This record gives sequence, C-alpha cells and structure tokens, in this order.
Amino acid sequence: MQLIFSPNVDFESIREDIQRKLEEGSNFFRRGTVIQVAPGALSEANAGVLRKLFHQHGVLFRVEDPAEEPPRPAPKKAAPPPQPEERPPEPAPVPNVIPVEEEKKMLVINRTVRGGQEIQTQGSVMICGNVNPGAQIIAGGSIDIRGTCKGMVHAGAYGDATAFVVADRLMPTQIRIADRIAQPPEQMETPTVAERASIVDGKIVIEPIERQEVKV
Amino acid sequence: MSEVIVITSGKGGVGKTTTTANLGVGLAIRGKKVVLIDTDTGLRNLDLLLGLERRIVYTLVDVAQKRVNYGQALVRHKKYTNLFLLPTSQVADKTAIEPEQMLEIVEAMKSEFDYILIDCPAGIEQGYETAVIGADWAIVVTNPEISAVRDADKIIGKLQAANKKIKLVVNRIRPQMVKDGTMLDMTAIDDILSLECIGQVPDDDKVVDSANRGTPVVEWKDSAAGAAYRDIVGRVCGEDIPFKPLEAETFWQRLKHVFGH
Repeated sequence: MQLIFSPNVDFESIREDIQRKLEEGSNFFRRGTVIQVAPGALSEANAGVLRKLFHQHGVLFRVEDPAEEPPRPAPKKAAPPPQPEERPPEPAPVPNVIPVEEEKKMLVINRTVRGGQEIQTQGSVMICGNVNPGAQIIAGGSIDIRGTCKGMVHAGAYGDATAFVVADRLMPTQIRIADRIAQPPEQMETPTVAERASIVDGKIVIEPIERQEVKV
Repeated sequence: MSEVIVITSGKGGVGKTTTTANLGVGLAIRGKKVVLIDTDTGLRNLDLLLGLERRIVYTLVDVAQKRVNYGQALVRHKKYTNLFLLPTSQVADKTAIEPEQMLEIVEAMKSEFDYILIDCPAGIEQGYETAVIGADWAIVVTNPEISAVRDADKIIGKLQAANKKIKLVVNRIRPQMVKDGTMLDMTAIDDILSLECIGQVPDDDKVVDSANRGTPVVEWKDSAAGAAYRDIVGRVCGEDIPFKPLEAETFWQRLKHVFGH
C-alpha cells in the first residue's frame, strides 16, 4: 500500500488520523501490510514517528520509491509505456485514508453466500439467503441474515461496538463484533428462533429476538 | 439440439469420472449420440473406465493445437457405436489447453452430438476453467462427507457466478451409516448446497470391479449403484423418476459380511 500525503495538511493531523484508524482495529491497515512512502514526502523525524506507530500495530513502514513495484493495472490504456522515470507529476495528492463518516448505506445480497466467497462493505448488509461455512461477511455496520448463518461474520469491522448480527438461524463458525471475537460451542443445535449477537459489557452476547415470519 | 454438460466437484476422488462414464454409457444405451471429453490432462482415467485405453491415437491436446481434427481423435466405443471418447494427453499438463480452444472444440461438436459430457479435473485452477467454459449446465458430484460438501459449495459459488445451472449427484452413500447417524444424510447436504438433486448413488463394491473391467456399472443389472445411475440418465433426459429409498443392510446381509461373504 502506498500512502500519498497532501502537502496542505500538517503532519500532526495526518498522524492522528492514522493512529485512530490503527486503534479502531479496522481492516484498513491489516497486520502484515507494507506501507510505502515516496522519499522526500516526509521529514526524517516525521518518518520515524510514523514507523514507530505502524510497527506497534504490526504494519511495516518503508520510505522508498514505489516505482520499482509491479505496475498497478493501468486505467484503460492499451499499452502503458514502461517508463517509470518519466512519470507525469502526480495530480493533486489526496490523503489515502478512508473518510471517517463513510456513507452508511445498506447493501442487500439476494443470494446464498457460499464457501470461499467474501462480502465486504463499509456500511450494513442484509443477506437474503444463507451464509455457508467458509464464507465471510465483513461489514462496517450491522449484519442481518435472512437465513442460516454458518460462516464467519464480522460486524462493526471498523470499530463500531454498537454493531450487531442478526440471523434466522445463527450458528456461525466465528462471530466478530468490532475487536471482540466469539466462538460458538463445538456441538450446536439448530436454533428455533432468530437471534441477535451484540456487545454487552465488553462481551459478545447472543439473545433470541422476535421476528415476524411471513407465512405463505 | 445438443446439450453440453460438465461433471465437476472441486474435491478429487468423489466419482466425477465414474459418473461421466456411467452417464455416457447410459445415454448411449438409450440410443443417444454421445461424446465424452476428458479434460483431466496429465491424469487421464476416463479411457480406462470405458476400456478404451489401447485405441487412443490422438488426444484433446492435438485437437486444441490444431494438429488434427476432432474427428480423428475420437475413439468409438467397442459395444455402443454411438458413444465416443475424446481422450486427453497423459504427458502434457493442464496449461496445454486454453479455455478459448476448448470452447471452439465444443462449439464445433454441437451439430454432431445429442450430448457432450465433459469430465472436469479436481481443483479450481486452469483445468477447471477449461472444462467449464463450454458447458450449458453442470452436474456437481459430492460425497456425504464434510470436506466434499464444503468443496462442492465453493464450486457451486463459482458456477453460479458464471451463470451455469447446476444439478447435484450424491455419490457413495452408505445407507447403514446414514441410518446410524454417522454419515451426513440428504437433509444435511441440502441444508448447505440447496440444489436440485438428480442422483443418490449408494456405495457399491461393484463400481471398483467394473472400473477394473472397463465396463461401467450402469450396464450391470445386479448392481445398486448401476440402478441409481440408470435413474440419473433418465432424469438427465427429462424424465420424472421418483427416488427409491436406499436400503440399509438387513440382518442376514450383515451376518454374511461378518463371515466374509
């Protein structure tokens, strides 16, 4: 991942932004990610501050020219000229950090999410179908499953501890809310009512809820 | 009008090739003109199950690379003259055939055959793409065990993303174990895969015997698996055949097993 800093923003607010992202336990900076910054973008002292901050969260930080990296997919050009030295000057750089209040849209998935498939969204997600074992649902907001949930679900993935997971039959392989992880018992009976998982007193708690069944 | 069906599973060893061979022979017995394409390049088996290994001259790789026409590579079955095999190479690997080449071959064959059955290799890499690209719909074969069902689920997700219709065959069911609750039953499989099922094939020692002889079990009148495959053939042809309950062993059969026969 390459970070590009806007010259108009002072270093302190950039540092605060990054620190908040890291401490939210979000998936934006995953453990093991390598961060690259072009030489000259930061002063020696500032680079040191960031390196320390990233290292505390298991993210590698390097100041080097990312031009030697394999080129990213070129934006719809037939043959991108292989001349990394003569790149045009960067267009007005934008801080590569997710806006804090991302629009909280509801994503609706109208099918069963099968093993090996992953749904990721900034907002909340509703799944009209099952979540099979081996599938992953990762949402910044809450997760509503109108079916059986047997996969891995992560609500509040960007740190929202008020997020919750609801399913008609909640029997996931693992359930995560914000930075909490819960693992259901090995032998699990199929629940007969819809259930909701949420954080109560710092722990993930699962409780039955009433949901009106539409009888055909 | 021809129908192109890919037989796939994700996991290896669940009975894709056995199912392909039995469907092929079963459809041929009904008088359909059928070609079976083996896409498991490097590990071909389909010719063995049909007893055709010694007749192979050219392979799918030769056809894909335009060294011969597909007609020159087809091997006609000894007994059923309307059944053909397009074998694959045992020396080349799966990168030898590009999906586009496979599509071209399948399209060319459509005018000549009622059914084109494609035997897919295990796995989800290039061999899979090549096998699936030309198919109208897919038969997913699974076993009543957790890893086979999990891999089938993954493959089904991929097939659905490619807009293929899918039907399910559950192979190697052991009715006694299902009855004892030590093997996944159809309800448990359907809970996860939720697909139309067109076959429940019991585990049958005769399948091994038939593979060694090169005569698929669908021809055998005294085999439970053969009867199940005949039903699948009927369902593929669009017939509405009810599922017969698979019978657990009776007391006398178990006693016979205890005494080794």
